[in-house]
Amino acid sequence: MNARAPQGNNVVTQSLAQIGNCGLFLLTLLAAIPRSLRYFRETVRQLWFVGAMSLTIIMVCGLFVGMVLMLQLYSVLSTFGGTSASGMVVAVAVYRELGPVVTALLFAGRAGTSITAEIGLMRATDQIDAMEMMAVDPIAYVATPRFLAGLIAMPLLCTVFCAMAVLGGHLVGVTWLGIDNGTFWSNMTAVVEVHSDIVNGVLFKSLAFGAVVALIAVYQGFTTPPTSEGVAYATTRTVVASSIAILALDFVLTAFLM
Amino acid sequence: MTDPVRAAPEDSTLVRVRGLTTVLNGKTIFDALDLDIPRGKVTAIMGPSGTGKTTLLKHITGQMRADAGEVLVDGQNVAQLSRERLYKMREGIGYLFQNSALLTDFDVFENVAFPLRQHTALPEVLIRNLVLLKLQAVGLRGAARLMPNELSGGMARRVALARAIVFDPMLILYDEPFVGLDPVALNQVLKLIRTLNQTLGITSVLVAHELEAIKQVADHVFLIANGKVVAQGDPKTIANDGSPWTRQFFGGDADGPVPFQYPAGDYAQALGFAGAAK
Amino acid sequence: MSQQRSSYAIGTGLFIVLGFATLVYLATQTTSVANVHQGASYTVDAHFANIGQLKERAPVKIAGVRVGQVRSITLDPSSEQADVKFAIDQRYSRIPDDSVATIFTSGLLGDQYVGIQYGTSKKLVADGGTLTMTKPAQQLEEMLGKFFGAGGVADNLGGTYSVKARFTNVGSLSVGAPVKMAGVAIGSVQTVHADPVKLDAEVIMAIDKRYNAIPDDSSAAVFTSGLIGTQYVAIQPGGSPDALKNGDEMVLTQSAMQLEDLIGKFLVNGSPSDKKDAGNAKPTDTPAGKQ
Repeated sequence: MNARAPQGNNVVTQSLAQIGNCGLFLLTLLAAIPRSLRYFRETVRQLWFVGAMSLTIIMVCGLFVGMVLMLQLYSVLSTFGGTSASGMVVAVAVYRELGPVVTALLFAGRAGTSITAEIGLMRATDQIDAMEMMAVDPIAYVATPRFLAGLIAMPLLCTVFCAMAVLGGHLVGVTWLGIDNGTFWSNMTAVVEVHSDIVNGVLFKSLAFGAVVALIAVYQGFTTPPTSEGVAYATTRTVVASSIAILALDFVLTAFLM
Repeated sequence: MTDPVRAAPEDSTLVRVRGLTTVLNGKTIFDALDLDIPRGKVTAIMGPSGTGKTTLLKHITGQMRADAGEVLVDGQNVAQLSRERLYKMREGIGYLFQNSALLTDFDVFENVAFPLRQHTALPEVLIRNLVLLKLQAVGLRGAARLMPNELSGGMARRVALARAIVFDPMLILYDEPFVGLDPVALNQVLKLIRTLNQTLGITSVLVAHELEAIKQVADHVFLIANGKVVAQGDPKTIANDGSPWTRQFFGGDADGPVPFQYPAGDYAQALGFAGAAK
Repeated sequence: MSQQRSSYAIGTGLFIVLGFATLVYLATQTTSVANVHQGASYTVDAHFANIGQLKERAPVKIAGVRVGQVRSITLDPSSEQADVKFAIDQRYSRIPDDSVATIFTSGLLGDQYVGIQYGTSKKLVADGGTLTMTKPAQQLEEMLGKFFGAGGVADNLGGTYSVKARFTNVGSLSVGAPVKMAGVAIGSVQTVHADPVKLDAEVIMAIDKRYNAIPDDSSAAVFTSGLIGTQYVAIQPGGSPDALKNGDEMVLTQSAMQLEDLIGKFLVNGSPSDKKDAGNAKPTDTPAGKQ
């Protein structure tokens, strides 16, 4: 796993080499899943750090996204006399796009960076080598549990985010702007579909984003030069690469799922 | 350790290095290096900075692969072991890292218990007793519940040592065990190395620069330079073997076979005195 | 440490349970699944000339209360009519067989649904039975089109003359809005400003010279084109022999009607009669908005 820094003389070849190494690293991670099953506790522990500890930020942001979305929609839709549809639009927009994407971006910032920094520091302080020396496979013990935790945590976090956004929309729309409570829910239930919105939007997208963010975070942590500058740089790269990957993948997935 | 591969106990050499050649980033680290580490002794490996002493330890543990030559640990060629066999072998090797490398997530107790938890299914009581036994041996039983960031450098190294010996290994590799320690902590570590070797018969390999410490503890010294063993022998007498390497290294001269100047072009030419070079 | 470990496990467990509970909530309470009744239902048929935007699983309501949903929509090849099957909750099995099924729109932009108004027959519609009396979907555009004409701004190549009109309320009438007669644009609004003395709005319109025979007792009204369109001035010709001239003022004006008022009136006129004589629904294909 001492993946060499990508050799190349320009940005294109370097980026290609990065993507290639990242893909190979994914295979290593997946191959280590059977071996990492004995470190199941570690996966649970990482799920706690990566998932449960991100709940607060996800919930607060979800609430505000729902609230601001409702405000904007209300002001636009009121010119058409269609404010009763705003709850439905909030739900659809959040389930299909904003929920998975914003959750993934927040997840990259909150959990992705901490994974990269943690693994980078473990490398800098020889903890990874120490595990090797104690005959503990660092891929199976460090990398795969974090990857799996990210994979499991993202859909759950995204679901919570969406619920909070709908709640925020309800708070602003019904409690503040005076949309009828029954209209709010009935319009929503009339339009939102389990398959296209919940399964394809909330679950499928967030699963894909969780895999991408966790992979990038773990990969950056493992391949960064084990120095303090290296760790700082890798943390930044995790956020940048994750954000680009999330938005690009979102486009591809949306095009496929439509 | 009931290791079936630990055959031929009459073999007095535990680690045998033959023709080891390593090239890292275009720089030759080892050039057909031959080295024998005797069983049950304390062996010190010395040499100028950058000669690859730590690299040698990584070859012994199988973390690095040689470009040529072989490393035999207890009769097994490390480079040819499968992952399972290699990990099995590593369970019999303790490694003390220069910066201790304690797992920051866990407290002292769990750090020492970590190898036990990973490789055995011992009942909790037994793990507890084993860990406390090892912590008592390094004098840190009272620190069992401290986190690594609460430890001083010397304490952290002693915890790392307790972790390295928790499986009662046949071999302990010490990577710069004395660096950055105050005299008291240094002597504590020194005492532990000696005790472990004498009471348990654990073969020890030390990579270190501290001459006085090595004279006190080591049975045999290898001096490595330019990828080869340039001198070896008893630490008390090796300084007087007449070789220019030992004279410079044990005398601490600034210039000698180990040059003061990093290899460079002609000095006068570099300064622009083209005429002076002629 | 083992205590610490179990607290991770508990926290993580809580996190997973919370996530899944939220997922179940989202999937069941905010989606169309929430509309699916699990109880037993029976099927009723109805044929519509036009179903508009009605979709499968659209609600079926009686007196505004959801009693079932649309199960299938197919085109009946023999009659050129849409064959719509409803699944109606077994609890509501006492529907007279002369009840009327109408396709309504919930709200202005909402989805369409089927409303059933009870008839007076003693016979009840059975499982698999057919409601013969139906009213097709009302296209909102058609309905409103009957109120308001539509058209573009007249080209005023031949020159214009100005006519003034005063309104107590011009709504959102803006400069450049069309002036129409009989639904055809004959000019445009040139200025709109409030009169500081008379406290009303003074609108000056530029009318194409070709239309120079507009009676001077004609009335001007501010209307809205379509539902969400811009407002315009409609001129209804009077009977005077004298024509409007440049600079004249139109005396009879009707201020902007708020759509809400309009619909309000419309609904107030309609609903009480429906309630009083429940069996009075007209089984015809005429638009409900004809009054």
